[in-house]
Amino acid sequence: MSDLRDSAITLDGVRKSFGRVEAVRGISLDVYESEFLTLLGPSGCGKTTTMRMIAGFEEPDEGQIYLRGRDVVGDPPNRRAVNMVFQHYALFPHMNVEDNVAYGLKLRKVAKEERKRLVGEMLEIVRLSGMQRRSPSQLSGGQQQRVALARALVNRPAALLLDEPLGALDVKLRKQMQLELKRIQNELGTTFVYVTHDQEEALSMSDRIAVMNDGLIEQLGTPREIYEHPVTPFVADFVGVLNALEIRVDEVGDLTATMRIGDGERVVVPVPTGATTGQTLMAAVRPERVRIRRAAEAATSGSGSAVQGTVALIVYLGTLTQFHVDTSLGARLVAHRLSDDSATAVREGDRVVLSWDEEDAAVLSDA
Amino acid sequence: MNVAVSKGGRRTLWGLFGFLVVFLYAPIVILIMFSVNDRTLVSFPWQGFTLRWYRTFMQNSALLLALRTSAMIATVTAIVTVALAIPASVLFVRRRFFGKPFVSALVLSPLVIPLVVFGIALLILFNTLAVPLSPWTVAVGHIVIALPFAVLTLVPRLERIPAYLEEASRDLGASAMTAFRSITLPLMTPAIVSSFLISFVISFDEVVIASFIAGDEPTFPLYLFSQLRLPSRLPQVIAVAVVVMLASGILVVASEVWRRIANHRLERQIALVEGEEAIA
Repeated sequence: MSDLRDSAITLDGVRKSFGRVEAVRGISLDVYESEFLTLLGPSGCGKTTTMRMIAGFEEPDEGQIYLRGRDVVGDPPNRRAVNMVFQHYALFPHMNVEDNVAYGLKLRKVAKEERKRLVGEMLEIVRLSGMQRRSPSQLSGGQQQRVALARALVNRPAALLLDEPLGALDVKLRKQMQLELKRIQNELGTTFVYVTHDQEEALSMSDRIAVMNDGLIEQLGTPREIYEHPVTPFVADFVGVLNALEIRVDEVGDLTATMRIGDGERVVVPVPTGATTGQTLMAAVRPERVRIRRAAEAATSGSGSAVQGTVALIVYLGTLTQFHVDTSLGARLVAHRLSDDSATAVREGDRVVLSWDEEDAAVLSDA
Repeated sequence: MNVAVSKGGRRTLWGLFGFLVVFLYAPIVILIMFSVNDRTLVSFPWQGFTLRWYRTFMQNSALLLALRTSAMIATVTAIVTVALAIPASVLFVRRRFFGKPFVSALVLSPLVIPLVVFGIALLILFNTLAVPLSPWTVAVGHIVIALPFAVLTLVPRLERIPAYLEEASRDLGASAMTAFRSITLPLMTPAIVSSFLISFVISFDEVVIASFIAGDEPTFPLYLFSQLRLPSRLPQVIAVAVVVMLASGILVVASEVWRRIANHRLERQIALVEGEEAIA
C-alpha cells in the first residue's frame, strides 16, 4: 500500500522478545510523511516496544526498520533522525526551559545566536514565549509537556514519536492538548507516531490508526474505518462499546445474509465475500446506530434489521442515554440515543423494537 | 497513642537524648578546656588560660609533616575512591549483569572485615610483591575501606534519578558518554561531594591499617598515637586535635547543609511529575 506516498518510517517483519515473552510478533507498517499515525492498544500489546525500536532504545530480533528509506537497525538512538516525547516528559531538571530545548541543537553544534532564534521560534509555536528562563519545576504539567514537545521538534526530526504523552494530565488539559498537538502537527507538517491506549484520543487525532493486540497489528485504517468497520472482535471491542451478535444465516441475498427470527424480526448483515445458508457469523453493530421505538409505535416492515426486546436498564450519560435491551435473539443489546430524542419516552420494562440499517452492521473475522 | 508524645515516652526520650549529649559532647568540651589550660599535666585544677599549646604545635615540624602526609593521603584516597565509586554505583543501579550480587558483596566486604586483619593482609601482600611501604600504600588500603561508604552514598541518589532522562538525552543526539556527563553527573553532584568528604574523613582518621603499612612516614593519627607515651607532649596533642576537629566539623556541617538543599530541589522536581501521575 506504499509507493504512492513517501514513507517516513517503514517497519518490515519486526519481531522482539524479552526472554520468553514475545512483545512484538511480526509487524510491517509504513508511516507516511506528514502523517499522524497512532499505535492503539492495551498495555502489553507491544506498542511501546515498537516505538522504542523505532527510536533505537531496543533492537529488533528480526526484521528491518527504515527511516526515510535508510536501514537504521543497529544505529544507536543518537544516530537516528527521530525524536521522542516521553511519558513523563523527561525534562532535564537542572536546566532551564531554553537549555532544555536547545540541548539537541547544542549537540549538533548549531551556533549560539541561531540556537537562540530557533528555540524562541519553537517556544512560540508551543505557546511558551518568554518562558526561556523558567526551571521545569516552575511549570505546570501542561507547560512541561509543551517544553518536551519543543525540545523534540526543534531538531526537525523525520518523525516525532510520542509515548502516551498526555497520560499524566487531567481530563480537561488532555482534551486541550489533543487539539494543540493536532494544530502543531498541521503547522509543522512533521510525521507523528503516537502511542496510546485511549481509543478516544486515537480517534480524534489520527490520520490512521494501527490497532495492536498481543504483539500484532489487528487492523490498520482511518479512524472512521476502524470505528465503523472493525474487522476483528478485538478491534470492535477495544475501539468502543459494541453489540456482538451471533447470526445463523437463513437466507443469502445479493451481498447480504439474513437471519429470520419471526414475525417481521430479522437481522441483515452485509457479506462482501459471500456466505452460505446455515453458516454462523459474528456481527457487530455500534450502539449509536441502533434505533429504539416502543413496540406499539414501531413499524416492523422495511429493509434493515429489526429485533424485539424488553428494556432492562436505562443509563443516563448526559448527552446520551443508554438503553440495555434483552432481545428475542437471546443477547442483550445496547442502544445510545441523544437524551432529548423522542426515544426518551421509553421506560424500563417497556416492550421495544430495535432497528438499524443494513450497512451499520459489520461481520467480524475470527482474527 | 504515639510513644513519642505520651508523657512517659517523652520523659524517656529526653532522658536518652541527655545521656547522648553528655557522653558525646562532654569529652569534647573537656578536650577544648584542657587545650587552653596553662598546665603540662592534663588534669584539674584549672591554672589559667593560655594559647601556648597551640603555638608549640605550630612549631612542631614532625607534627606538621604528619598532618601534611595525612592530608595528602586523604586527598588521593578521596579522589580515587570517588572515581571508582561513580562507575561502580552506575553499574549496580543501571545495569543487570551476571554475578551482580557477588560483585556488590565484594565491593561492600571491607565493611565487615576487621581492620587489623585487613592491615596484616595488606602488609603481607605488599611484602610479597616487594612494594616499598609509603604514604601511597596507605592510600591503597584507605581506598579499599572507603569505597563501600562512597558507593553506599551514591547509590540512593542515583536511584532517584530516572533512567529516562539519559534516554531523552541519547534521543536528542548525545552519545552514551555525553548523556552521562551532561545529565546524570550534574544531578549526582551533591552525593559525589558527600562521598568525597566521607572518603577523605575516613582516610584522615584511620589508624589501624596505617599502623601496618605506613612505612617511616607516620600519618597524623599515627603521630598522635605515638606522642601519647610522652606526657609533656599531651597538651599540644590536645590542641591540634581541637583544631582538626573544628575544621572537619565545619566542613561536614557545611556540606550536609548544602547537600540537603540540593537534594530538596531535585525531590521537588521529581515530586511534581509524580504528583501529576497520581491525579491521572
